[in-house]
Amino acid sequence: MKGRIVFYDRTYYPFSKFDGKCVGCPTRLRSMAVTTRLTWLQKKILQNHFGDKKFSLLYKASVHGFSTQDLHNRCCNQGPIITVIYSENVVSGVYVEENYQGGTTDSIIIFVLRETEISECKANSYNLFVNYNDNAQYCINLQSGNVLIPPQIAKRLELPPGHQYSFQECEVFRCEDTVDERKIQGLIQLRDQLLLAMRVYKPSGNLVNQVKILLLGPIGAGKSSFFNSVKSVFQGYVSHQALVGDDTTGTSKNYRVYSMKDRINGASLPFVLCDSLGLGEDEEGLCVEDILSLIKGHVSDRYQFNSMKPITSSDVKYIKYPQLKDRIHCAVFVFDINSIEHLSYGMVAKIKRIRREMIKCGMLHVVLLTHVDSMKLITRGDLIDIYSCVPVKLKINAVHRNLGFSVSDILVVSNYSSEWELDAIKDILILSALRKMLWTADDFLEDFPLE
Amino acid sequence: MAVTTKLTWNEEACLINQLGNVSLSLLYKSSVHGYSMSDMLQRYTCEGPTITIYFSNSIVGFLMLERNHKQTIWFTLRKKKDIIEMPTLLLNTVLKTTTEELSFLSYCGETIFSVNLKAQLIFLNHMLNAKIRLPVNSCSRANISECEVFRVEGIKDNRGYLKRITEVTQYRNKLLSDLRAYKPYADLVSEIRILLLGPTGSGKSSFFNSVKSVFRGRPTQQAIVGSDSTTSITEQYRIYSIKDGVHRQYLPFMLCDTMGLHDSEGGGLCVDDIPHILKGCVPDRYQFDPCKPITSKHPTYIKSPSLKDRVHCVAYVLDINSIDNLSSTMVAKLKQIHKEVITCGIAHVVLLTKVNNYDEVLQVNFLNVNKSTTSQKQVMNVSKILGIPIFNILIIGNHTSKWESDPEEDILVLSALRQMLRVTDDFLEDLPKEETTCGYFYYESTSCRLSQIYC
Repeated sequence: MKGRIVFYDRTYYPFSKFDGKCVGCPTRLRSMAVTTRLTWLQKKILQNHFGDKKFSLLYKASVHGFSTQDLHNRCCNQGPIITVIYSENVVSGVYVEENYQGGTTDSIIIFVLRETEISECKANSYNLFVNYNDNAQYCINLQSGNVLIPPQIAKRLELPPGHQYSFQECEVFRCEDTVDERKIQGLIQLRDQLLLAMRVYKPSGNLVNQVKILLLGPIGAGKSSFFNSVKSVFQGYVSHQALVGDDTTGTSKNYRVYSMKDRINGASLPFVLCDSLGLGEDEEGLCVEDILSLIKGHVSDRYQFNSMKPITSSDVKYIKYPQLKDRIHCAVFVFDINSIEHLSYGMVAKIKRIRREMIKCGMLHVVLLTHVDSMKLITRGDLIDIYSCVPVKLKINAVHRNLGFSVSDILVVSNYSSEWELDAIKDILILSALRKMLWTADDFLEDFPLE
Repeated sequence: MAVTTKLTWNEEACLINQLGNVSLSLLYKSSVHGYSMSDMLQRYTCEGPTITIYFSNSIVGFLMLERNHKQTIWFTLRKKKDIIEMPTLLLNTVLKTTTEELSFLSYCGETIFSVNLKAQLIFLNHMLNAKIRLPVNSCSRANISECEVFRVEGIKDNRGYLKRITEVTQYRNKLLSDLRAYKPYADLVSEIRILLLGPTGSGKSSFFNSVKSVFRGRPTQQAIVGSDSTTSITEQYRIYSIKDGVHRQYLPFMLCDTMGLHDSEGGGLCVDDIPHILKGCVPDRYQFDPCKPITSKHPTYIKSPSLKDRVHCVAYVLDINSIDNLSSTMVAKLKQIHKEVITCGIAHVVLLTKVNNYDEVLQVNFLNVNKSTTSQKQVMNVSKILGIPIFNILIIGNHTSKWESDPEEDILVLSALRQMLRVTDDFLEDLPKEETTCGYFYYESTSCRLSQIYC
């Protein structure tokens, strides 16, 4: 056992009798990595439960020693902390909302985590961590690996009757807000950089003045909302120019080509968004023939779609000889992220067919997943680094698997729907998605045959 | 006072990114936990890899893998225009602690860095100061306003990690500039044409996208990729030339993307098309017909291709995960194609894609492929099937599933490309004099022989 100790300047390394794991540890230090035993889901549930917190692991008993002194050395004056205790088959713990300084804590929240459910109760504790059990308060004894839970609390938490429960591991985390002033500052900076980049963007080779982006997708996926969101970001306040609704027949009946003005100098932005009628089941909604006409630029602004009858060359709104500037340079498939798995068989077939047609005529496209903020478990703080969120990753893979789009072409946004004020976090998602669309349009223009 | 780092969010993001998407947990912050050496040292115990950052008028930090590890990485973070830079330096050091001071000594006993927390003073020797290019006005001794200790989680436990992260970007940029400056042998042609061949979904178009993305400095998806159960997404013959993102010039190579090969007959790329492609008779954007090869009667058929129209290098693109399950028809097709390529005397390599442990492929200095990788079952297998020596089997990662670029992955893509160009140079050098001078050549078409086999 001595071999393990030489890495540290400590003559005494308190192995607990409860820590069976440590005995077999190899002598390499990195194998004793200080990582939590919580699963991703467990951690996420706790973080959300206590108000969108970020956890920093400060203390892990099996590594740092089963003693109150060791714990206090690392966890005092760190702000609010959460202690997680791993017993035989239950994860429980205690949350201290005020700055923990050792000694007396007035109010604590004791919780038990079962699967995805948390039951909690408030309590008082004079000394949270003790070396000896002296009273009927809630307390954790690290030396003996016991947690003492008074009967009335145990009853409220639906724990089996008993007084002391033994545990194998104890971890303490510092709890910070995921979105703090520091992050907001950084995010605003990033947003402004992105905004500037979009304003000065020039389509590849100056072939066109404005890039045309077509929004396609099932009814109610959030196509018009995405336009509203983009407009809002450039305008500086939330706009609802395009009517948005969940009407089963689709709110946008007309083909609309929305050009946007920049708030700062009043100039037109170098891109336009084209909003179409939503795709419906079977014969409803936009028909596939119309999509091809749209892409090639045969349809002009404010054309009224007819889901029964595609546009013909005799229509007043039909452009017979579209130029490069009339056609679509980037197509976007918009889906509600929550309905990806529930798309009907017919819808999936329709989308695959449209995609097939697009590939045939070399139309580059991306996927936009909206409503990410209404996903289960996802909080506002998660939106900052949304592509690394496990549930979002799963959704992206589902889109890749079910519909065949490549993973790097799948974008995630959260549209402005009920908000009054802009939020830098949402802005960044919207602008990054837009930037990717412009890049895609560049790739398309570059690839376009010169003739 | 809240225990939050003094780093800005952007600085933190840069640091995390540079270290390979690790996660940082702030353990100690001197202004909250007291400027006491023993307090700080205590936080290092039993933590594994840590980062310590000192804030004076500039930022100085170091990464230790463990407390007594021989090597430390030194870095600073500073803003240049809107971009945060992080120069790094890898040093062999010895850690020495007293009750007041923590210092790092070189092997000859010279003090490289020392800190007195109580006095809030740090000392940097000249070498360190110059190497990580701190602002000139900061003298070697500086007052610090804050000291923070972080635990680093998620460091890859491979050999040479520290050396890698300090040198990876540098090496990537060197490769990039080497390739930009490349000139084909004796200027026989201005652009090398590399033909990508392989089963459907093996990543031919993705390889093109990866190469383009690296040179562009942003993700691009010019070639549409993705899965569509069985059929090939790419149906046209495409000759892609790539414009450089920096100099806005065309790069000295083109990638020729083809339709995927199929397991079954009558699907995917028609094997009889290949001789025409190799000779350079097939024009850009030619629509492949799986059942019928191109003939000289086709309106855009290039009747008399010159050396520059020819394919100069063939890359067989194979998904490493499917090597063991290649169907016998596929193997037969590949062997036939390879025979054809050898007959034409064209340079050839194998490109294995979608390697998951791509970060272990290269040696610490990035110069060579690890022995353990080359002896992998799949690599040996491919070498046996096609009879291509192991040094011409190139390995790349899976670019399509990522958002951010990864310098190590870029290095693999660029190394693969460089290897292709080197092989091609050998081919050009080896060309008979007549072929290089007259600009037009002819060799016996083997297409009828091939069709006999598949009828």
